[in-house]
Amino acid sequence: MFSSGTTRRARRGMLREWRLHALSVFSLAVAFVCLGSALLVVTNLRALEERWAHAGRASIYLKDTASQDDVQALKTALAKLPAITGVHYVSAGQARTDFGAQEIASKAELAALPVEAFPSSIEIDVNAETTDAELADMVQKLRMLPVVDDVETYQAWTERLEKLVRGGVAAAALLAFVVFAAVLAVVGSTIRLALQRRKTEVEVLKLVGASDRYVKGPYIVEGGVQGALGAIGAIALLGVLFFVVRGRLDTELASLLGLEPTFLPWHVAVGMVVVGGALGATAALTSLRKLVAV
Amino acid sequence: MARSEDARRVAGDSAFRPMLRAGARFSREASQRPILVFEDVFKSYRAGSPVLRGMNLVIERGEFVFVTGSSGSGKSTLLRLLYRAETVDDGRILFLGRDVARLTDESVPFLRRNLGVVFQSFKLVETWTVFENVAVTLEVLGLPQRLVRTRVGEALERVGLAGRGSDLAGVLSGGEQQRVAIARAIVGEPALILADEPTGNLDPQLALDILGLFEEINESGTTVLFATHDRSLLDVRARRLVVLDEGKAIDVPNGVAPAESEYEVEFAH
Repeated sequence: MFSSGTTRRARRGMLREWRLHALSVFSLAVAFVCLGSALLVVTNLRALEERWAHAGRASIYLKDTASQDDVQALKTALAKLPAITGVHYVSAGQARTDFGAQEIASKAELAALPVEAFPSSIEIDVNAETTDAELADMVQKLRMLPVVDDVETYQAWTERLEKLVRGGVAAAALLAFVVFAAVLAVVGSTIRLALQRRKTEVEVLKLVGASDRYVKGPYIVEGGVQGALGAIGAIALLGVLFFVVRGRLDTELASLLGLEPTFLPWHVAVGMVVVGGALGATAALTSLRKLVAV
Repeated sequence: MARSEDARRVAGDSAFRPMLRAGARFSREASQRPILVFEDVFKSYRAGSPVLRGMNLVIERGEFVFVTGSSGSGKSTLLRLLYRAETVDDGRILFLGRDVARLTDESVPFLRRNLGVVFQSFKLVETWTVFENVAVTLEVLGLPQRLVRTRVGEALERVGLAGRGSDLAGVLSGGEQQRVAIARAIVGEPALILADEPTGNLDPQLALDILGLFEEINESGTTVLFATHDRSLLDVRARRLVVLDEGKAIDVPNGVAPAESEYEVEFAH
């Protein structure tokens, strides 16, 4: 796209005005850190949503009137369904014991809770390939059984997470817009300043017969490099912060979220660098519309 | 002398091939035309006070022409119209048969590649080396670096700056800076050199040296249009002189008579 002469002139220009370009890259890196942080949150929320959506579990709460025969018959029927991969009965007493072990330290408090707070249930593992519609259909059929009180699929949680992810994506999009505007403004100003400083150079180039494209080439390369370096700097900074935080709060985050937080996927990181470069080049091109007239 | 004869022979062997547009072919007919024709050229910056008012002028290939006139008479305007920093209001300027005013913006760089321009203010990039300042003319043409190095070396030798390529332009003296600007103008072997008050910032002796350099360039076959209001330069040799007065060109084919030196006056008496 650009000749070696263009990149050589761009390198020369950047080295001669390295302070100006370093300042520009730093400003861009700060802007990209905001975008990168938002993308990092969205990435992990999405992973969490994915994890919960495919958790593939449901609880079938039984009525107090359900006999052991009813429970056994229901377990056998459920085990035969292709969408169900595991069936496990939890009695009311076991539910109370499990809850006490996890949530309440005092035995007196646990004893104070009513009997109906811990109904017996059948926990089922649902095949990960089962669609939402299939699961909803199954739940509806289960609810019609006389021994079943209620069925909990945790879909409400997934829906809440979905809403959270959508909010995160919207926030990231808004931030992306702000970052794009920042990149255009910062690179545009830097290039205009560089152009002003190299006014004589541009005049000389045009006098000796350089085409506008030849004159603009190095500035566009400089803009692109600034944008890409800003994004790389932001990713590097975020990476360091992420691994420092994760190293210290690894266990807590894993138990809280049910999964280990992940850094930006490589394609998102590469995308940020490419977008940074493209935006920088575009900003440079836009700011060069009016070259020094000779 | 031998060098200028060699240069003239070389120039004759490889006649100038005008290329005002990419891919344009050499035309023998075009090479026979006057290099420059001004036809009824009008130019004004303010309504009602034109700088050029129907100016007519013909300059043949290989001529050395002084353009003079008082400040504001249009010397610089005339040159700026030639390298298309300005456009005429009316009339035509034919450079090798092509109307400069009607060139498209895309063709202007090709026009400028056939011109060498030297300014009073030198217009050098001070942070570049002497070599870089001269080489830029050839780099724009996309010539290979080896050829660029050879030709820049030759040009610097012609202007008396051999071995100074690595010096920064900003640290040179005024006379040296103007030599670099001249090297930049000639390195591309243009058909026409435009010099806009090139000695204006130099002391009288340096001014004479620079004039001598332009005369050497002219001897190698390059047409030179030298704008100056320095009467002492016009007196050095009888050259064709164009005086700009009230927007028109007054042609003095043999210039002004060289002033007699003090010694000649003494011997005569």
